[in-house]
Amino acid sequence: MELVQLESATCTGARELRAIDSIGFYTLNVRILALAEKQQLPLLTICNTCTLNVLDAHAAFVSDNALARDVNARLSVEGLSYSGRTRISHFLWMLYEDIGEDELRRRVVQPLAGLTVAAFYGCHITRPPSRYGFVDSRNNIALEKLAVILGCEPIDYSGRTECCGFHTAAHDERISLKLSGQHIASAKANGAKTMVTPCPLCHTILDGFQREIEKDSGVDLNMPILHLPQLVGLALGMTPEELGVDQHIIPFPPLPSIKTLPA
Amino acid sequence: MRVLDALNHIAEYDAPDLAYRWFCGSKMCGSCAIRMNGREVLACWEAAVPDMTIEPLRNLPVIRDLVVDRTPYERRVVAFEPWLERSAPYLGFPEPLLHKDIKNASKALDCISCMACYSACPVIRLGDLTDFAGPAPLVQLGQTALDPRNDPAKVRRALERSGIFNCVSCYKCEEVCPAGIPIVSQVIEPLKAKAAELLPAMATHPRVFRSIVASRGRIDPGALVLHIQGWRALTRIPRLFRMLFRGKINPLRTLVGTRTGAANAAKRVLSRNDAPT
Repeated sequence: MELVQLESATCTGARELRAIDSIGFYTLNVRILALAEKQQLPLLTICNTCTLNVLDAHAAFVSDNALARDVNARLSVEGLSYSGRTRISHFLWMLYEDIGEDELRRRVVQPLAGLTVAAFYGCHITRPPSRYGFVDSRNNIALEKLAVILGCEPIDYSGRTECCGFHTAAHDERISLKLSGQHIASAKANGAKTMVTPCPLCHTILDGFQREIEKDSGVDLNMPILHLPQLVGLALGMTPEELGVDQHIIPFPPLPSIKTLPA
Repeated sequence: MRVLDALNHIAEYDAPDLAYRWFCGSKMCGSCAIRMNGREVLACWEAAVPDMTIEPLRNLPVIRDLVVDRTPYERRVVAFEPWLERSAPYLGFPEPLLHKDIKNASKALDCISCMACYSACPVIRLGDLTDFAGPAPLVQLGQTALDPRNDPAKVRRALERSGIFNCVSCYKCEEVCPAGIPIVSQVIEPLKAKAAELLPAMATHPRVFRSIVASRGRIDPGALVLHIQGWRALTRIPRLFRMLFRGKINPLRTLVGTRTGAANAAKRVLSRNDAPT
């Protein structure tokens, strides 16, 4: 599989743009879909919120002719046009749908034995319910299945499919500190040595805000948080440095089962 | 067998004093919402399973057994003045009202006030931490506030006390809504748009976000925090240093990141009606 970076792809607008400027939101997202369509490539994102945003924009585009015309008129300034054919995927779905469990299992060279993992799904990869077909977001076990394939041991805890609070954190951190604090504490109480998330926004709160969470709750957490591609990469034999694992606020401790880790 | 049938059976044969509410038994009245195995459901619409943990709804005081006190919700709704009041004189029948102008309010009107969403909301669960009204009261507000005939001054008053920008967009409310209302995308987001229009100061955060995307194409966390928090950002200095040390933020990019292909594209797309910050 080869990745082609869409150089001029923009931010999808998170939650803010769609709330206050819907036509701007649709145009920005459909533009990204149009860039992929122009190269006849499926679109892959590594972020839950981006995934939902492009999915929502695509759904609105194909169901509303007037909107589609308006958006394409705005895109025509730079010679772009969308016809609704781009396939949208997320890194987690790509692992299952394009690589496949068997192929992934075959490629695991460093099973992460002994690593107990708390999977943190985040919201926008499983909700709203109609987008992905889960009756209840909690019947999603994709990350736990993946953890088993990678040789680690998934644990059950109360925060799995809860919200990290990212989308209010820029103007008021308190909600995210409280919510994420509960989730990390639950993961720790249930024996997790690390948490893994398929969403970089969740990661920002869980890792980047963890010292403030500890201060807020008065509880020492020290829970390393991995991006999903990092967990997969470690099992596939990449080094922590290649994967940027050393860039996290909460250090990821060396694993005895991984030879290439520095002492 | 439905959960409600199981409850009726228990009340009939095992616990005659069991307190629970139901009325229509057909997903209309919204009085029988409970939590079954950790998930909000209507007792009249959910199939019973062999292993069931039945609990009252969360986030509302329990009166007895499965009966909760709806007063906190009702107080919120009343404070929103949830009726239609024209600011302009009635033009007579038939009144011009386009589908696109009323479609969000009409979704909100599907609400049966069962409180499932209110029980599922993680921000409401945090109690008095914020002034967030919660999904159920906001849906009630949406029924009239998203109606173009309503008096903007009244909508403004309601939104002022809604705490609406504390919604974390987690979609937990949509997941449990038995009426299938797209609460986040067709009620809360249009209400946020109204707030941005009627109460610009309330919507500083989304407006700053938009202007950063419009000028840079992407979000620069440094610029976002500086613009939104202003001097308050100074209290985040420990985190700033931690993030700098780990290479998570790049101040150089904060200063010069406005001349990329993405920035040019975003400028073109968002240049119209650019909301000043």
